[in-house]
Amino acid sequence: MDEDVLTTLKLLIIGESGVGKSSLLLRFTDDTFDPEQSATIGVDFKVKTLAIEGNKAKLAIWDTAGQERFRTLTPSYYRGAQGVILVYDVTRRDSFTKLENWLNELETYTTRNDIVKMLVGNKIDKDDREVDRNEGLKFARKHSMLFIEASAKTKDGVQCAFEELVEKILQTPGLWESDNQGQKVQLGHQEQGRGRACGGYCSIP
Amino acid sequence: MAADNDPESEVFEITDFTTASEWERFVSRVEELLNEWKLTENYVEELSPEKGAYISGSWGEQSQDVHFADFKFYITHHFLKEECKKNGKGEEDTLPLAMQDLLCMHNDFPPRAHCLVRWYGLREFVVISPGANCEAIISESKCNLLLSSISMSLANSGCQVPIFVQIQQKWRRIYAGECQGPGVRTDFEIVHLRKVPSQYNHLSGLLDIFRSKIGCNMLPLPPVDITIRYTYILQDWQQSSWPQQPPDFDTLLGGEVGGVEFGSLPFGACEEPISELHLATTWPHLTEGIIIDNDVYSDLDPLQAPHWSVRVRTADNLQCLLGDFITEFFKLCCRKESAEEILGRGHAQEEGQENSDISSALSKLTEPAAPVPLSKLSVSSMVHSARKHIRRRRHIDESPLNVDVLNSILLYLFPDAAVEKSSGKEKITQSHFFRTSEQEKSSDNNLFLQLKSAPSDSLTYRLTLCLCMVNYSYGGLPAVTHLWQEFVLELRYRWENNYLIYGLTTGSPDLRCCLLHQKFQMLNCCIERKRGRDEARKAQERNGDGEHKASGGKASGTTTTKEPSQGKSWDSRSDSEEEFFECPSDQGEMETFQTEGEKDSSRFKAEGRLHPYNNMTLLNSTEPLYVPVTQEPAPMTEDQLEEQSEVLAKLGTSAKGTHLRAQMQSACLLSDMESFKAANPGCVLEDFVRWYSPRDYVEEEVFNEKGRTVLKGELSARMKIPGNTWVETWETARVTPARRQKRLFDDTKEAEKVLHYLVMLKPGDLACHLLPCLLHAAIVKLKHEESTENIPSVGKNIQQATSQANKLLHSVNYDYKRLEDFINQLVTMERVITEARSLKAKFAVDEEENNGETALELQKVVTSLLEEPEVVVIGAGQARIGRIIHRLFINAQRAALLSPMDEDLEPAAESRKIPDFPPPAGREILLRTCVPRPAPYSKALPQRLFCVLMKDEFRLAGAFSSDTSFF
Ligand SMILES: Nc1nc2c(ncn2[C@@H]2O[C@H](COP(=O)(O)OP(=O)(O)O)[C@@H](O)[C@H]2O)c(=O)[nH]1
Ligand SMILES: [Mg+2]
Repeated sequence: MDEDVLTTLKLLIIGESGVGKSSLLLRFTDDTFDPEQSATIGVDFKVKTLAIEGNKAKLAIWDTAGQERFRTLTPSYYRGAQGVILVYDVTRRDSFTKLENWLNELETYTTRNDIVKMLVGNKIDKDDREVDRNEGLKFARKHSMLFIEASAKTKDGVQCAFEELVEKILQTPGLWESDNQGQKVQLGHQEQGRGRACGGYCSIP
Repeated sequence: MAADNDPESEVFEITDFTTASEWERFVSRVEELLNEWKLTENYVEELSPEKGAYISGSWGEQSQDVHFADFKFYITHHFLKEECKKNGKGEEDTLPLAMQDLLCMHNDFPPRAHCLVRWYGLREFVVISPGANCEAIISESKCNLLLSSISMSLANSGCQVPIFVQIQQKWRRIYAGECQGPGVRTDFEIVHLRKVPSQYNHLSGLLDIFRSKIGCNMLPLPPVDITIRYTYILQDWQQSSWPQQPPDFDTLLGGEVGGVEFGSLPFGACEEPISELHLATTWPHLTEGIIIDNDVYSDLDPLQAPHWSVRVRTADNLQCLLGDFITEFFKLCCRKESAEEILGRGHAQEEGQENSDISSALSKLTEPAAPVPLSKLSVSSMVHSARKHIRRRRHIDESPLNVDVLNSILLYLFPDAAVEKSSGKEKITQSHFFRTSEQEKSSDNNLFLQLKSAPSDSLTYRLTLCLCMVNYSYGGLPAVTHLWQEFVLELRYRWENNYLIYGLTTGSPDLRCCLLHQKFQMLNCCIERKRGRDEARKAQERNGDGEHKASGGKASGTTTTKEPSQGKSWDSRSDSEEEFFECPSDQGEMETFQTEGEKDSSRFKAEGRLHPYNNMTLLNSTEPLYVPVTQEPAPMTEDQLEEQSEVLAKLGTSAKGTHLRAQMQSACLLSDMESFKAANPGCVLEDFVRWYSPRDYVEEEVFNEKGRTVLKGELSARMKIPGNTWVETWETARVTPARRQKRLFDDTKEAEKVLHYLVMLKPGDLACHLLPCLLHAAIVKLKHEESTENIPSVGKNIQQATSQANKLLHSVNYDYKRLEDFINQLVTMERVITEARSLKAKFAVDEEENNGETALELQKVVTSLLEEPEVVVIGAGQARIGRIIHRLFINAQRAALLSPMDEDLEPAAESRKIPDFPPPAGREILLRTCVPRPAPYSKALPQRLFCVLMKDEFRLAGAFSSDTSFF
């Protein structure tokens, strides 16, 4: 099982507290939604193996707390990450306005500049939306991020968000081939992947 | 076998070959290859290759092994890579390309090509030469055997590409070859002698050979096209000797070693980087009779040659200082010895395991008996007197690093130690120090982040440069080890005596820098915390006991008795269990603002308040909600962090693992909760959450009994889950201000960990850790040197090298092979820059008499000379560049041929006596014609003879074609 794993990727989920980071992760790894999920302390960790175009990638995903006080600690987890998911809550405008801060922090602490970033607007199942989809789109375009809207509760867009992020990482040369990783597998395709059926998905490379 | 089945092979008579079957195998194998390489599909090139195609185009080759019995050969196909090959059969009587090339005038004397290309003008050919460890083909019978084999292969396959066999010793470069076409054949043969026979030492003699060789005795003589090239070599750079003196490492002048300062890298070559200048003067398209060159007279005056080109030869194994420095340092990286093994047991022990005892003993010696405020003392006197003690105890002559050098280096690394007395002055130098670096940083473009090194003014960076210099000039590995030990000793001294380490940005370790830099920063964090604690404690003692009374309370009542005594505060190794977090006194504790009214005396007195929070009040009282003074979270270096995340990851992804993980990380939460409780007597979890995680306190507008809207708040659903870590932690949190909590960050333990790590570090590993800083410094140096020379190719290479280094230095395990290649690239860049400098000096690029335009032209020539194998001198000997080259030769000639006494002579008179140019080092004469062979009625075919005349070489490379259709 583990032998045919192409590579291990380190991903990170960041964003304000309460936007649904842990819920998104739980939806992705266990395909459940737990309304009783307790607020994260420090950082949490989950793994999942994902098959993309026949290549298996093992994902080590770090979930962070988001509260001001925990932030002094989390930047250290940015180190060595290949991908980052930045989450906001479409029903909380303040979680959207804080995005700039998160990006700044990311810029300051990541060790590599080719890290793949994805913006996720969560909780689209709720009807008290405060942030329009276009605003999210615009923000993502401005900062060269992938963008998707999702709901951890109804599972809309969740699987797709992680898959696209991973695919993009695998397409970025030099981002995931570590030198202690003996076998280098050339991916079947390099360019395509854009047109894949994925509702609501949008990429701004 | 293919040859057996081929009826054509019977055309050739095979009589006397005992190894016939081996021979057949060989022939057929060669044929196979010719087919495989598609050399049998003859194509027609309508045009002869373009002028200069042999220079600008690139050459390709493919090789295979072939065996003749147990004798191994390499067979190699050489070809000029052309844009498009036009395939298709030519007309019956088209000559093979190789024959056409014999007469082509466009690509004579290509500067960089296989010798057969130069001699025969070929663009494609195959060479068979003995394998690596095989002896040369010397005997005539073997030569003939091989030649008939290739003749056979060519005939069988119909290949029109010529095949050569290398015979005689390799160095003699003698080839015999053959080319076949429909009804035509060219034989290639070479004569090679050690001396030029006197009858052939000029054009007329060579023409005679050519004619007799093509058997042309007819009249009138067919016109022979003659091209001549003479090469003159300039080796003596009398007039512009290499300006740079090798640095003298034996003299040490205050902070400077033989012109190389501490903290900078040396640069440049120690010897002349340009060993020779070759001037080639060419006379193309001469016909016999236009010029005369025989044993008594020659028309060939280089100054009058219509075509000049120059090339330079650079010195082999040029020693360049920067490159040497880096290479030597890089060699350290693979050393595996421990300090003890390098310095010998006694020495290492004294410094190693026991050094803590020594230095604490020393600090006792140097510690003032009376508690004089340390800031008033000169650090330098203490540090250095401490060191003297050590040195006296050690066997002085045996210390690997000279004491004076060591002292200068330490003073350079810790300049604050030299500052006299007042701490104010200390600050001045520090700020000055960092100001200069600001400028540097902007131009440096944060290179240190790209390379994961350290800022260029940091202690780490400067240490690297010192170690590098010590390694190169003051005793290699033992001296490096010695300096490192002294350095670590100094760090320990600073830790124990509360002196911050100079030259590091404060704050938590910068994870973008190299690990060692982080370790130093970590130690500084420890020193800072300890300092803060000691100061707070002293302030407390000065303030008397008022403080102690204020802190009386149920939960914290006992802690006052545990307050360490003053004496203990100096001892950093007290039991960490008893260490408490001390807030720096300037973080204004706000007890004074507290409930003056004392309405509710049953409450605790508030402690450790920082400031009120957003005008909020507690839910259960009218008291403002205060942000408490909290403990700073523990700083971490990247290795600790990795360790921690590994531990966290190991807990697994089960619910239990997740819970455990949360508990492990809740120390900080607990501490904050305790501080919060102390600052806000009577508070509830909801109050805490409103400050700490506001989104988890949900407020809603509801109508109260009276029908008015009021805000009603409650904890979010997830906070209300019974038994969740937040609630759990809140319940266990005591009312304790940060000041009296157990330290989250045990600076004593952490400092000792860092120091232990540093002491145990093997010198080889030390070098590895510092390598990024050295490469950083080297790139900065190269950039700086390049900017004054402006060599575009080097500038571009530096850019590329930097991004390559970025990748190399960020990977977890260094790839030493690729690092070595990278270092070699840097070395090459240094060499190119020194070569450019030398050439500029020789061509007087910067001299005032050369105005802007000339200077530009000269600059262009210099750049081309560095980048191209050969550079055409526009206008030959008559134009500006030509005149400068001419002058260089004249000067060299005069220096070589005039005795010093003659120098007084009239310049006009002497210049008549001395030729401007030395005798040519090489003469190449190329004769071409097209005549019928072997009989006057045969087809007229290309004939060519290339002659090389040098001091100890005489070579004739002839290609003679003949019509085979009637024989
Ligand atoms: N309606 C809705 N609620 C969600 C969604 N995702 C998360 N939540 C809720 O939002 C709250 C915070 O979620 P959590 O994953 O703990 O956020 P985190 O602090 O970013 O990790 C929880 O009460 C979740 O049940 C969603 O997609 N839709
Ligand atoms: Mg969470």
